[in-house]
Amino acid sequence: MRRILVLVLKDLRRRLADPAGFFLNLSIPLAMAGMMALAFGNSGGGEQNAPQLRLVLVDLDESPISGMLAGASQNPRAAGRMAVRRAATREEGLDVLRDEEFAAMLVIPRGFGQALLGSERTELELVKNPSENIMPVVAQQGAEVLALYLSAGARVLGDEGPRLQKLLVDGAGWNDAAGLGSMIATLYDRVDAAGNLLFPPIIEVTEQAETKQDAGGGFNWMSWMFPGMVVMGLLFTSLTQMRDLLRERDAGTLRRQLASPLGAGQVILAKVLSVAAVVAIALVLLLTVGSLAFGLAWGAPAPLIATSALLVLAITGFSAMVFALVRTERQGDAFGGVLTMLMSMVGGAFIPPQILPEWLRGVSCFTVNHWGHEALRALATGGGWAQVGAYLPALAIMGVVFTGLGMTLLGRRHLRGTL
Amino acid sequence: MTTKVRVDTPLQVLDVRYSYGRTRAVDGIRFEVGRGEIFGLLGPNGAGKTTTISMISGLLPPESGQVLVFGHDIADSRGGARTRMGMVPQDIALYEELSAAENLRFWGQVYGLSGPNLKRAVESVLDQVGLAERAGERVGRFSGGLKRRLNLAVGLVHGPDLLLLDEPTVGIDPQARLRILDVVKAQAAAGRAVLYTSHYLEEAEQICDRLAIVDHGRLLAIGTVSELRRLVGEGPIINIRGEVTSERLTAMAGRLEGVALLSCADGAASFSATDATACSSLVRELFQTGAHVEDLRVAEPNLQSVFLKLTGRELRD
Repeated sequence: MRRILVLVLKDLRRRLADPAGFFLNLSIPLAMAGMMALAFGNSGGGEQNAPQLRLVLVDLDESPISGMLAGASQNPRAAGRMAVRRAATREEGLDVLRDEEFAAMLVIPRGFGQALLGSERTELELVKNPSENIMPVVAQQGAEVLALYLSAGARVLGDEGPRLQKLLVDGAGWNDAAGLGSMIATLYDRVDAAGNLLFPPIIEVTEQAETKQDAGGGFNWMSWMFPGMVVMGLLFTSLTQMRDLLRERDAGTLRRQLASPLGAGQVILAKVLSVAAVVAIALVLLLTVGSLAFGLAWGAPAPLIATSALLVLAITGFSAMVFALVRTERQGDAFGGVLTMLMSMVGGAFIPPQILPEWLRGVSCFTVNHWGHEALRALATGGGWAQVGAYLPALAIMGVVFTGLGMTLLGRRHLRGTL
Repeated sequence: MTTKVRVDTPLQVLDVRYSYGRTRAVDGIRFEVGRGEIFGLLGPNGAGKTTTISMISGLLPPESGQVLVFGHDIADSRGGARTRMGMVPQDIALYEELSAAENLRFWGQVYGLSGPNLKRAVESVLDQVGLAERAGERVGRFSGGLKRRLNLAVGLVHGPDLLLLDEPTVGIDPQARLRILDVVKAQAAAGRAVLYTSHYLEEAEQICDRLAIVDHGRLLAIGTVSELRRLVGEGPIINIRGEVTSERLTAMAGRLEGVALLSCADGAASFSATDATACSSLVRELFQTGAHVEDLRVAEPNLQSVFLKLTGRELRD
């Protein structure tokens, strides 16, 4: 054991004496994450960074009901999400839609408020801008939700609608205290009766989510992106470090070690351990940068340590296997590099695996990246044992299988005299 | 052939064989190296020297035969035999990112040294190879000669009883070579056994007590330098250069008493002559038959001529 420690320390001293390669490897994922942060915003910030919906509103009704709808877009929350330009006529609205790159135009027709309060069929007109892709769809979905809620509201009002219309539109009945009181009581009863329908938990869920986002500064999309970069960076680091085995072979120092009282198993194990140590240091550095630069939190220490240990084992085992299969450093660089990029893509480092074809998602499950990403993402989004636990067995199996296979193959190469 | 296993003999190589696929690289080589002896293993590239050294150092398992280090089979005893052996490979097997002292400390620790013993051993060996003043300098900044000296020092740091030196002076200047040869001779004088391979015949002739010549995996001759010289006779060696053919020269040598053709290739040929008379008759015959000779030199027999006689080619071919 002492001699293995001597070998490991020797490798670490060498890395320390010439750390350029090590930091170059780490700079790749950091640079990619940094560029993405610059392109899409650092933490995402939830609502602040969501693209704004630019909407043209044409209120032909000009009733108190349509006024309420138009006014709703002016409240501070909606103002952050929407930019609403009012137009007097449909034609003017169409001109604005065409000339000023608005996503859609919502037309509230004449008689809309009256029809709504009278529980009569009516419609909202939405004109989408064909030159835009996503936001018109968002506008359409928003309009559909609005129509649904207005319809539900009209149904709840029922035959009280005309009385309310008289009150709000015509301004009549304000002096009839008894009638006003009876209408309010009726409406209260109806709203109360529909309470379970109108105020289901969906509203509470929304409020809870808003509270949490406000407290944490919104969804940090780097918690999705950065773990993928971390795993990819660790794979490159690991491959570069494991390449040292073939470099030592070519330099003759490996032969010298194998001619010493050390056994081949000790030499190979020491190399795997020293690579694992460097990968672990790289992981600590990357996680720290993730916290400092992108505001990521990695959860409780115990799940983080378990995830890190198994991730380091799986990644080190992977690189041992790669370098057990190749003959030269160049082959290792090429084979390992291509494999890492493919695994990163399939494993979800660049795109969500959910949008991949079904068969590729199956392939993804056989990559270290997939399980590493998922585990780190679970930690970065506040997950603990319960969330991370699902990924750890896969990482452990990969770690044991890859490391075992890699060491066995390297041992066989030694016996054949090709190591 | 049976051999007595002797625990006091540093190295016994007993009929070892090794093949790479269908190519037989070493075919029944057998020799011993005693205490305080420098034993040279000579042969051209591909002769089987490195494969033999690899089997001796335990890197390759012999297909048959045995390598015994102080009576212990190298294949069986990982620790004991190897701890008593120091290997200096042909490659400069050093860590260039580390200093000379760090390299030596590391290899000393690999061989089990620690604490004050390690410190003493490192200082001592740095002194021996003349690198004490550059102990803290990174090896990557060393010249080829300094690296060669440190490469040798690494093999000596743990004080081995058997040294395996595979071409330890390749590619260095004469001054550095002399320094290395002095160190090797000092090791032998201290009672250590040295197995030495080299391309430089003069060097081997200068420092080796006994030599073995190998080619195509076979041991062609073994003995002291004078014993090997006798293989080509005591008389002079005649080297010629010109438009000569093997058939013509073979026929000529056959006609002359006391003359033998050692080699003939690429417009050069070597003859051995038993005495001055035989030498004169060869020279006369060459000119009388109108052979187109551009250069003719007469020399004392040396290892080069032995090598030519045994292998039919130059050592560096």
